[in-house]
Amino acid sequence: MATKVKNEPFVAYSESAIRNNLSIVEYCRTSVAAVSGCTAGVLGLTGLYGALFFIVAVTGFWFMLLGKAGIDSWKKFFISRKSLLINGIFGHFFTYILCWTFIYGMVHVY
Amino acid sequence: MSSLKENMEKLKLYREHNIRYSREITQVWNETISSNIDNLGKEKHIILEQVCIAAIDCYQLKIAEKCIHELYKEFPNSSRIRILESMYHEADENFNRALQILNDIVKKDITNSAARKRKIAICKALGRNTEAIKELVEYLKIFMADVEAWQELSELYISEHEYSKAAFCVEELILHNPHNHLLHQRYADIRYSQGGMENIELARTYYNQSYKLNPKNIRALYGSYLTTTALLNSQKVSGKKKDAAVKVVDWCLKEIKKRYSEVKVSEIEESLSALEI
Amino acid sequence: MSADLIVDPQIRFWVFLPIVVITFLVGILRHYASILLSSQKKVEMQQLADSQLLLRARALRENSGYIPKNSFLMRKQAFNKEDGYLMQKRPPVTQNMMTDPSMMTDMLKGNLTNVLPMIIIGGWINWVFSGFITTKVPFPLTLRFKPMLQRGIELSHLDASWVSSASWYFLNVFGLRSIYTLVLGENNAADQSRQMQEQMQMTGAASGMPADPKVPFKAEWEALEIMEHQSKLFDAEDVLQE
Repeated sequence: MATKVKNEPFVAYSESAIRNNLSIVEYCRTSVAAVSGCTAGVLGLTGLYGALFFIVAVTGFWFMLLGKAGIDSWKKFFISRKSLLINGIFGHFFTYILCWTFIYGMVHVY
Repeated sequence: MSSLKENMEKLKLYREHNIRYSREITQVWNETISSNIDNLGKEKHIILEQVCIAAIDCYQLKIAEKCIHELYKEFPNSSRIRILESMYHEADENFNRALQILNDIVKKDITNSAARKRKIAICKALGRNTEAIKELVEYLKIFMADVEAWQELSELYISEHEYSKAAFCVEELILHNPHNHLLHQRYADIRYSQGGMENIELARTYYNQSYKLNPKNIRALYGSYLTTTALLNSQKVSGKKKDAAVKVVDWCLKEIKKRYSEVKVSEIEESLSALEI
Repeated sequence: MSADLIVDPQIRFWVFLPIVVITFLVGILRHYASILLSSQKKVEMQQLADSQLLLRARALRENSGYIPKNSFLMRKQAFNKEDGYLMQKRPPVTQNMMTDPSMMTDMLKGNLTNVLPMIIIGGWINWVFSGFITTKVPFPLTLRFKPMLQRGIELSHLDASWVSSASWYFLNVFGLRSIYTLVLGENNAADQSRQMQEQMQMTGAASGMPADPKVPFKAEWEALEIMEHQSKLFDAEDVLQE
């Protein structure tokens, strides 16, 4: 959790707390990418459906994060919602593709 | 009698949060750790260092000596352990020996900041404040961004009553930690002690800032009250500002009384009346 | 071509899985090897002082709103005037990569632990597991990718989605990066692409500061020059709003 000092209109953030939060989110995001990749493989999605599934998974995860942080009090934990959604998405996309290909290969080509 | 594992967990907690319960640490050492040195695994050396410093704090020099001895077995040429050894000599009041070790370390490795800081600590312990200040200024010329050093320097200047220089140091601290309410309050204290119209105005601003950052800071409230009263009494302020200032004074008093009433301190009325200038 | 080719399950077992396992283990090995091989970079006194100076200048810029205007101006003077801190002359250090021994060894070690294993193993896999398809990627690829992804397979009307083992290996390398962060924690040396990025940025300089301190000095000097003091301090009247 982050602590914030309100000093209107300037807001101050505790650097280490923000970093801690972001690293935890990163961890969760990687797991989400891996697991959703495996699900996509199992379901046998191909091409565009797969990409769509990834977007759905990431957005779903984003909603869950916001839900956990609280609709009103997310400001206490993160600086911006948008960066939470977009940040690092490319690397996780690759993980998603890897797991997807892996499980797809395992299940459907076997 | 708690187990070794529990004690190790406790020590780890102290390390992570920088807590300095030296007496407890030495107790823990006596209870479990001293007989189990080899079972400490990965954390062995850092625990030895932690216990060594705690033992030096409590003047348990035998324990400290044992720790240093163990550490030297593993790392015979480490400057970190030599600093510990110099602390041991310092505790034993062999200041010359300690200084000798530290000078040696600095000569071998001029970028070693810890050894220099210990030298300054020894000067301070010997009561040689001016020398300590000189060394610290030299140190800061190189290591400009070392917040601890600025803090030490500000305290040394305050003890030497060099308030303007102390204010400079606290400004540096504020630059690095702008949201620390204690720093703003300390700065306001220094400015208020310096006296003079401009300084009192600055002090007032900083007391308010400190209060805003942490509404529980009673000293900031007191400071706010005192500075505003001083400004009211001495300067010719315009009517509107005067009213605002009077309102601020009243509000401060009310707020202080409220806080104290919540905590049940009986002599508040007398103390406050003593403050009336 | 048709979507479903019948593929020998033995391939799956003896090719598909081993490549994943190999990539993963090699990454972990690389992490530990780099920890063992990493040399203690000796920091120059001057570099240390310079980096601290830059830190202080940056703190000044960021938080100048919290100190009184006079103090800020005084510090700005100290940093920016004729022989102030930021205007200090530094001997120009030439970026001579081939003759500087310490930089050479650093670069060599970096190359050794990162690029070399990837090339060796990629080549080995290509040699051992060549001539057959490894897997099908789940999305349609254009024909342009065929020669890249289907090394050693000479079928002209095979769907570009069917890839060879070498391309599967490279897919693994990229995909496992994030998983390394999960397993090994932050700052792990198995994260290869980040290493490559760092190499491109730093060109083998020691830690602390690049060999040319004038560039960041100049940048800080300019930033400080154009800076105006903006007081973020708080004033008394608003206290009553609490």
